Amino acid sequence: MKRIFAGTVLLIASSAAFAEAPGGPDCGWGNMLFEGQTGGGPHFLASTTNGTSGNKTFGMTSGTNGCSTGGTLTYGGDSMASAAEIMDEFSEDVARGHGDALNAVAVMIGVEQQDRTTFSQVMHENFTTIFPNEDVTAEQALTAVNTVMKSDPRLAKYAV
Amino acid sequence: MRPPSTILPLLIWTFSTTVTADTNQTSYIEELQERAADKVLWRNQEWMNLGHYRASGLVQKGFTSSVDDAHFFYAPDGKTSPQHELNATLAAFFTTQTTGNEHALCRFPARFNWLAKHLKIDTGRLPAVNCSDYAKWRRLIHAESVTMVFPTYQLNSPSSMFGHTLLRLDPADDENWSDWLSYAVNFGANITDGDNSMSYAWKGLTGGYPGQFIVTPYFKKIQEYNQIEKRDIWEYKLNLQPAEVETMVTHLWELKEINFDYYFFTENCSYRLLELLEVARPGVELTDEFVLTAIPVDTVRAVERTGFVEGAFFRPSQQTIVKQMIEELPEDDYARLEKLLDQPIDEHNPDFQSIPAARQKLLLETTYKLLRLRQNRKVRDPLVAKKSYRLLAMLNRYPPGEAQEITAPVRPESGHHSKRVTFGALERRGKAWTELGFRMSYHSLEDNESGYLRGAQINIANIVLRRKNSSGTVVVQQADFADIFSLTPRSRFFKPISWRIRGGLERVYSDDQDRPVAHISGGGGYSWPLLDDGAVYTLLTGRLEANSTFGTWIEPALGAAIGSLYHGKIGTGRAEFHAERFAGGEYRLKFSFIQNLVLSRDNALRLKFKREWHDDRDFNEVGLSYNHFF
Repeated sequence: MKRIFAGTVLLIASSAAFAEAPGGPDCGWGNMLFEGQTGGGPHFLASTTNGTSGNKTFGMTSGTNGCSTGGTLTYGGDSMASAAEIMDEFSEDVARGHGDALNAVAVMIGVEQQDRTTFSQVMHENFTTIFPNEDVTAEQALTAVNTVMKSDPRLAKYAV
Repeated sequence: MRPPSTILPLLIWTFSTTVTADTNQTSYIEELQERAADKVLWRNQEWMNLGHYRASGLVQKGFTSSVDDAHFFYAPDGKTSPQHELNATLAAFFTTQTTGNEHALCRFPARFNWLAKHLKIDTGRLPAVNCSDYAKWRRLIHAESVTMVFPTYQLNSPSSMFGHTLLRLDPADDENWSDWLSYAVNFGANITDGDNSMSYAWKGLTGGYPGQFIVTPYFKKIQEYNQIEKRDIWEYKLNLQPAEVETMVTHLWELKEINFDYYFFTENCSYRLLELLEVARPGVELTDEFVLTAIPVDTVRAVERTGFVEGAFFRPSQQTIVKQMIEELPEDDYARLEKLLDQPIDEHNPDFQSIPAARQKLLLETTYKLLRLRQNRKVRDPLVAKKSYRLLAMLNRYPPGEAQEITAPVRPESGHHSKRVTFGALERRGKAWTELGFRMSYHSLEDNESGYLRGAQINIANIVLRRKNSSGTVVVQQADFADIFSLTPRSRFFKPISWRIRGGLERVYSDDQDRPVAHISGGGGYSWPLLDDGAVYTLLTGRLEANSTFGTWIEPALGAAIGSLYHGKIGTGRAEFHAERFAGGEYRLKFSFIQNLVLSRDNALRLKFKREWHDDRDFNEVGLSYNHFF
């Protein structure tokens, strides 16, 4: 399971770098940093009441945050959207150099245990490359993660 | 070719024995049904659990499933007949009318595994079915161990007041994993768009909502509870063995998009999770004690008592983290924090440079977190985004260092139980009374505080009877439907409001005697910390009262209260002065002092002194009571 997400996330990241609205218009992939969880409407209500809001999710289609799940995105789309959905937490962890979101992204990419410290360190050192400004989108940031990994001898093997 | 083991998940049937002799098949089904009847399998607790059947009916003993969905049953009377449902399920396994994911073999893998084990079903005779959806789902969720998750309560959303429980499916101990990516199993009401919290509460109480299981990535739950709702999360690792987890997960699949009855107090999220655990570990009895209410923390206790819990982990909310970080800052830095929140400075700022690097870093991180917290639930603001980014970029210049250590509070399940009985003696206006009280749930401000949130009171269904010792007259002194009191002290960086709402029947002194009235009372105001363990508060109050002495049958009143709450070593004490005046002119002034004396986790003594001033009379009430929680 260690590498279940491996490749898929970044493959899409790099190929979608120049495409428009990857995954569809409502996909979290295009979200800017600090878009956060604004809630509102039924979703907000459902979350305050421990309930669901009509859209039946059972793990199969969840986590896509409005991303299309057709074609190549059926499985990769899930983890791709997951990475997009924790972008705020990820940016904070990268800035600081450690944290749960940083670890979660490492698992998604398939970084092995022995390379996690290097991963955290390299991400930390390249904060401004990955997040050049506050308007960076999740897609751009993850594409940059791939580029940064490529140029690191230990992490290059995880890059696409 | 060997048939696949019946214990393993049923994935793809590679057999393609074409059903040529339907009669053969029919007689085999009948043979299985007879075998099942001989063994009285339908009466087996495990079958009852898989169908969510419970004994029903007082005169005519029967069974009813709490599943409210025709799609879950194969027999027309499957909801009330576990026996017919078993026979119909057996027949459905052999049908060739449906194929693929909709086939009974794909939809009910847990029923199949169980029946196959007990009836030694010849799998060679089953139709060939490709369960691609189930296979995909099983690949997606890595379920080898289970964690019970308890997001603690928050008072400001009435329907989350008691907390919530869910399960998390984790891979076997795998250091390479991140629990953020595990899947959460959550049972909740399926809300119709546009319903508000009050209508949720009402429909929830009366069973107006269908409930469903949903499975989502756990990080979404962390965002929902830790971040958006500012609730701390307790996680209890359960000692379920892989085979038990397997049974539970196969059954969970059977509940996909299936509607259950949902009741806010009884058959709620926590109750359903207990049922899943009963399926996982046959023979364990968890749900029986929750006939009246299934308060999440009580269900955590039941799970712990039954020996499921291996360890607990505290996942603090973002608010808890920020509050602790602020406390770690020297007070000198509070002004700097305010300045930073307002206007990010550049790193060359001489004042900022004058403090040590470690403090600079803590200050930046605290500012960032507080800024994000204040942005919670709001639409993205470009200016705040700019500030936030600037803070992160500055924070990035410091070496990573260690993760922030957060002190975990006392485990919530170690607190007092949520039902309470009270026996008391008191003197009011010179007359002696005996008192008997019962409260269904959950916690009063003065109750034993260990394991509970300070300043948070939720009392539901509280009734107090009094008996006059001289005459033997018994009266209902108080019958509260609900009494919720939220005292959250304000600080330099957090400005919550405090409020109270209460409604029901009570006896009050009015026009020369104590008389029964119905009322709704409430108030709103502020509270501030007092020393380390106390708070003072002041509220503007309002009351609507139906009282037989009033000119109109109902009259409003306005008032004000000022009080203090103190958590001492011996127990919690509260003093309050309250004055109110009714539209018709009646006024009531009351001073009350309550001191709780903790005897043990579930036992306490309570002293109460009250003085009342009215138009025609002033008097005292003094009492002592014994409180037991169970």
